[in-house]
Amino acid sequence: MSNDDKGLNDLFGRYRTACPDVEAGPRFMPGLWERIDKRRDFWFTFQNLARAAMTASAAICLLFLLLNLLTGPQTRLLPPTYADALAADHTAEKIYYTEAVRSSNDERERAPQ
Amino acid sequence: MLVEPGLIENARAGDHGAFNRIVLAYRRRILGTISRLIGRPEDVEDVAQEVFVRLYDSLDQLRSAELFEPWLYRLTVNASYDYLRRARRRSESLMADLSEQQVLAADSLAGSKQQTQEREKARIRDFVNELFGHVTEQDRLLLTLKEVEGLSLKELEKIYRVSENALKVRLFRARQRVLKAYNVAVANGRLP
Repeated sequence: MSNDDKGLNDLFGRYRTACPDVEAGPRFMPGLWERIDKRRDFWFTFQNLARAAMTASAAICLLFLLLNLLTGPQTRLLPPTYADALAADHTAEKIYYTEAVRSSNDERERAPQ
Repeated sequence: MLVEPGLIENARAGDHGAFNRIVLAYRRRILGTISRLIGRPEDVEDVAQEVFVRLYDSLDQLRSAELFEPWLYRLTVNASYDYLRRARRRSESLMADLSEQQVLAADSLAGSKQQTQEREKARIRDFVNELFGHVTEQDRLLLTLKEVEGLSLKELEKIYRVSENALKVRLFRARQRVLKAYNVAVANGRLP
């Protein structure tokens, strides 16, 4: 071990002596329980809020479900089955197919001489 | 262990009286360790309270009563680390001024033997704190636990849950950095 190492070890030893063994004051235990209670109160409030939010969302879900069930099938946004969806879809009947008709004259005009 | 495993089990089950007895049994040891870890006697009690609050919160996560002491040391190291990080964030110059003011205030007092000794101790603490400023807060804590608290590598392994070899490497590097800063201070004649 070098002299520097010995010097540093000696310094650490002196530091240990220089850091006093702190005695807890008379307010240590009451202060500790105050902190514990404060933190517990915070979690209690947080849990209550979370529980209230959960209940509110569950109630909203139930409300929407009931509304959906109570309204008639014609007013529902989506048809109940795929077959109903196909039957309700009339878009194919409204499409008009057109074919491109080219006159033979036009073709002759474009043909190379 | 300073308490019976049954007492820890009772505290885990929510017995406040058992928790109180655990705090009373370990209070002195934890206060001493924190004092050496952070090097600022005025804040020791506050950090110790934080340790026991965290213990109260996390006692149900303790797997076995036998692991209680390393667990408590781990909480102590974590709370001290948080304190040191907060302290470092404060202005360095402000801390230096404060320290100087403390020294001046101490100088202005009548120079009794006890006061001279207290002044000397404060100088040593300030000097070692300055040396520890050359390593990270984690390394400072590790080095203090090994070199000042005198914990063995096996004990450190349990606290940090890291292999002995990894700890050795980390300790060696941290010590080299502190030693370098120490040599510079010695060369400048600043050894207290």
